[in-house]
Amino acid sequence: MILYTIKRLIQGVITVWFIATATFFAMHGVPGDPLMTDKAMSEEVRKNLDAHYGFDQPKWKQYGIYIGHMVQGDFGISFAQENRRVNDILWEHFPVSAFLGILAITFAGLGGILFGALTARYRNRMPDIVIMFLVILGISVPSFVFAALGQLALVKLNAFFGTSILPVAGWGTLSHMIAPSLVLGLGTMAFLTRLMRSSMLEIVSSDYVRTARSKGLPTTRIFLRHELRNAILPVVTVLGPSIAAITTGGFVVELVFAIPGLGRYFVQAVQQLDYTVIMGTTVFYGAFLVFMVIVVDLLYGLIDPRVRLE
Amino acid sequence: MTAVIDQVTSALLEVRDLEVEFDTYGGTVRAVRGVSFEVHAGKTLAIVGESGCGKSVTVQSIMGLIPSPPGRIVGGTAKLRGKEIVDGVTADGEIVRGSRIGMIFQDPMTSLNPTMTIGDQIAETLQVHRGFSHSQALRLAVELLEMTRINEPSRRARQYPFEFSGGMLQRSMIAMAIACRPSILIADEPTTALDVTIQSQILDLLRDLQQENNMAIVLITHDLGVVARMADEVAVMYAGEFLETGTADDIFYNSAHPYTVGLRAAMPTNRDESEQDLMPIDGSPPDLFAPPPGCAYFARCPHAMEACRNDPPPGFAVGSGHMTRCWLHHADCSRRIEDLHYAAAAPLEGRDA
Repeated sequence: MILYTIKRLIQGVITVWFIATATFFAMHGVPGDPLMTDKAMSEEVRKNLDAHYGFDQPKWKQYGIYIGHMVQGDFGISFAQENRRVNDILWEHFPVSAFLGILAITFAGLGGILFGALTARYRNRMPDIVIMFLVILGISVPSFVFAALGQLALVKLNAFFGTSILPVAGWGTLSHMIAPSLVLGLGTMAFLTRLMRSSMLEIVSSDYVRTARSKGLPTTRIFLRHELRNAILPVVTVLGPSIAAITTGGFVVELVFAIPGLGRYFVQAVQQLDYTVIMGTTVFYGAFLVFMVIVVDLLYGLIDPRVRLE
Repeated sequence: MTAVIDQVTSALLEVRDLEVEFDTYGGTVRAVRGVSFEVHAGKTLAIVGESGCGKSVTVQSIMGLIPSPPGRIVGGTAKLRGKEIVDGVTADGEIVRGSRIGMIFQDPMTSLNPTMTIGDQIAETLQVHRGFSHSQALRLAVELLEMTRINEPSRRARQYPFEFSGGMLQRSMIAMAIACRPSILIADEPTTALDVTIQSQILDLLRDLQQENNMAIVLITHDLGVVARMADEVAVMYAGEFLETGTADDIFYNSAHPYTVGLRAAMPTNRDESEQDLMPIDGSPPDLFAPPPGCAYFARCPHAMEACRNDPPPGFAVGSGHMTRCWLHHADCSRRIEDLHYAAAAPLEGRDA
């Protein structure tokens, strides 16, 4: 298990390095550079920057310098924003994004398992039909539409009660987090519901559930110990990729709900060709995702004895 | 008359006129059509028949394991020691399923929960029916594994099904089924998925456990070799009906139904001198959406008469405890069953008679 973890972590580092490399060259493929702004820059400043980042040197040397800085944990200073180190931006805004993402994935996972089990239990009956219809909506409608609709609904709701039940936008308290994390998790929840439903249906008619019934076990015990546990295995498998879907979806939701997360900086940075911020956020997000996928895989090993690894 | 009553009360399990139907998109399938039998303590009843004839449905409906819908029990009764069983529970609330009647299945590889240790799965039955604590039940589970001749039972109890071989899984299934010392063990094709060596070991094990505990076994199989080796009594099932019931010797050496004779003739042998080709039974079983009005075997029977087409044959007693549903045994029938015994004379492997 420990050996496996170490192996996975090494693979993870290599993956992150690939991400960093690909981003670096893709970014430099875009015409222009961040220093070619309309603001006049003194010859001296330009020289200093060139010396630090090696802009006057060939690409592969710039790349070497960049990777060198990154390994030391220094993502540099933003070109577009005054006096801000990329590390500070990450430190300040990443926790917000991460918290939103974790809330959303928790909501999606629990909701998916619950609704999936429910629809399987009431197969082809009313709850199943209604939920599966909503699931199709949830999968096909993009999150920014839900974000807008959600805000509208909140405005109406607050107006109806004459008081603020839930804030429409902003960040700070737990009540601020509920609406955006619901919106953000909705698509994934719909997807997980469908997955859970089909997996549950398969397991309900499996041989070992028949065995469990032939043992005369009570229904709740069969459900919890024999059906549910085996049915959530595929859900846990896709949880890793789902985290990726949720964090990228988070960029948009953060903008709509005016949440001070990392997403906004990322989008801005791309527009302004802010090299260091693009690199910093991309690599950091990449590393975070790779790490989460490893965590999910290790978690899977705990749930399914068949993949428990030496 | 008193003899009959004695016989009835001595039966452990008594099934009368069981009828089971399934609703499907294509219509209603009459899977079991009026089946009656008795199971006696310490004896083995084998139910034989080809795939889809209703063997499994018969026992599963007694256990209350038929998924409903689409399945439903339309008629008949099942009594355990004289008390009627409904949905796996007797009339006075005694849980039959898993407690009084244990059950093992065809494919041990898929019949165990892959994410639970073998020990826990055995212990679970004891916790539920006997109210044992987890550690108590686990200790007994280890003993049960030992009884089913699994080496290093305490280590094995902590392992998962994927770490076991097929034979060991079936042994664990047996350990699980006999955990509560049931008076009846239903074995639904217990050796079909196993190779012959393991098959033999499992059958030996079942035999030994039966003798130790005076347990009745209901053995469902389509393997006449297994029947010959294990069965005291045999019921030959076809298209949801029992065509012939009797002792194993009656069925094998004194077959009274053309279907039984056909099955015997279709059995391969490994004797060198036998130059005979296999003799298959032509045709296929009838459609159970609309069972034939007369004898179910009519379409395939080489001895079919006009009477067989529209009149269902009643059970004819051919000897003590030997019954068959065939018009050939009617007193007015000019043909005799002896004519049927063209191939059944050879002794049967595995049966010492």
